[in-house]
Amino acid sequence: MKQWVGLAARLIVGIVDLVAGITKFPDPAGNVRQVRAFKILPEAVVPTVGHALPTVEIIIGIALILGLFTRVFAVLASLFFIAFIIGISAAWARGLEINCGCFGGSAVPANPQRQYAIDIARDVGLLLCSLWLVIWPRTKLALDNLLFPHHERLADGEQDTSAVEV
Amino acid sequence: MANKTRQQSKSERAQALMQQQRRRERIRNLSVVGAVVVAILIIGGVLFYVQSQNDTSGQTATKVPSNLTGTYNVVVGKSSAPTTIKLYEDLQCPICKAFEAATGQQTRAAIDAGKVKVDYHMVAFLDRSSTTQYSSRALNAAMSVLSTAGPDAFMKFRTIAFDNQPAEGSAGVPDSTLIDWAAQAGADRSKVTPLINGNVYHQWVVNATDQMSKDGVTGTPTVFINGQNQGSNPQVAAQAVLQAVQ
Repeated sequence: MKQWVGLAARLIVGIVDLVAGITKFPDPAGNVRQVRAFKILPEAVVPTVGHALPTVEIIIGIALILGLFTRVFAVLASLFFIAFIIGISAAWARGLEINCGCFGGSAVPANPQRQYAIDIARDVGLLLCSLWLVIWPRTKLALDNLLFPHHERLADGEQDTSAVEV
Repeated sequence: MANKTRQQSKSERAQALMQQQRRRERIRNLSVVGAVVVAILIIGGVLFYVQSQNDTSGQTATKVPSNLTGTYNVVVGKSSAPTTIKLYEDLQCPICKAFEAATGQQTRAAIDAGKVKVDYHMVAFLDRSSTTQYSSRALNAAMSVLSTAGPDAFMKFRTIAFDNQPAEGSAGVPDSTLIDWAAQAGADRSKVTPLINGNVYHQWVVNATDQMSKDGVTGTPTVFINGQNQGSNPQVAAQAVLQAVQ
C-alpha cells in the first residue's frame, strides 16, 4: 500500500516539476528576471540560478516520474520546495509584488496576497509528497526496482520484505 | 568429529560464496549508479547550455534607437514641467492599455500645457503572450518611429498600438500592420519599413527589459510620480496620475 502511495507522490511531484521546467524553458531572460524579482540572491549569481532552474526542475521531474534514484531526487525536490516557500514568504513579508514565476508566468497577479497564499499552500503540499518519498523511497513501478532488484542500500532505506531472507 | 569439520567448512564456503556474490552485486550497482549519474550530468549540461545561450540579455546592441533621452527611456514634455511621471509599459500589456485609456488624453494635454513631462520606459517581457513575439516587435516598431520621426510620432504610435492591442494568446499583429501604424503616426514609410521588418532594435529591446528588472520593476504598468512609486493597483495609480496632470 505504502508503495502505491509512493507512486502517486512520485507522479504528482514529478509531473509538476517537469511542467514547471518545460514552461519556463523558452524564456531564459524571463527566468532571470523572476529570480531577480525576489531580491534575495546577489546579482552575481542571479543569471546562473535563473538559467539552472528549469534544467534542474526538468531533471528532477523526469527522475521522479521514472522512479530513478527516488530518494536522492526526493531530497533535492524537498530542498527546492523549502527554498521556494522561503522565497515566496520573504517576498510576501516584505510586501514585494511579484508573480512567483512557478510556471513561467510573468504578469503580476491582480491579488498578490491571495496568490502568495495559494503558491505557498501548493508548495507545502508538494514538500509533503517529497518528504514521503525521502522516508519511503521504495515505490511501485519504479526504475529503481529494475536497476537495483536485490535491495542494496544505495537507493532506498526501507526493508524490502522479499529480499530479507538472506 | 570429521563430519563436524566438513560441515563447518561447508558453511564457510557458502558464506564466502555469498560474500563474493554481494561484492559482485555492489560493483554492478555502483556501475549502474555511475552510468546514470554521467547521463544525468550530460543532459543537465546540455539543457543549461541551451538556456544560457538563448538569453542574450546584456549583450551589446549593435543598433540603438535615436532620439532617446537616456539609454532606455524617452522623456516627452517641457523640461521645465514641475511634475515628472515615469512609466514602465509593455505594448502587449492589457492593463497598460486600460491605464492609457484612463489617463492618456489628460496626460497628453498636461504635457502640451507644460504641466508634466513623462519619462517613458518601454519594455517587452510579454513575448509569450502572442505566438509571434508581438511584444518585442511592437516595441521595435515604436523605437523605429522614435528614431526616424521623433517623440511626437512615437507618442502617436504608442496610442495607436494601445488602441489596437492584439488579444493575449493571439497571433499578434504582422509587421506590415506595424508599418501601417508607423506611417499613420507620421513616420516615413520607406524609412521605417526596413527597421521594422529587420527587427533591428531587438537586442536593445532585450536590454531595456533587463534594465527594468534591474531597476527593481517587476511588472507593468509601473508608475512613478516625482519618484514616488504608485503601487501595483492600476486604478489607484491611474487616479494619482489624473490628479497630477490636472
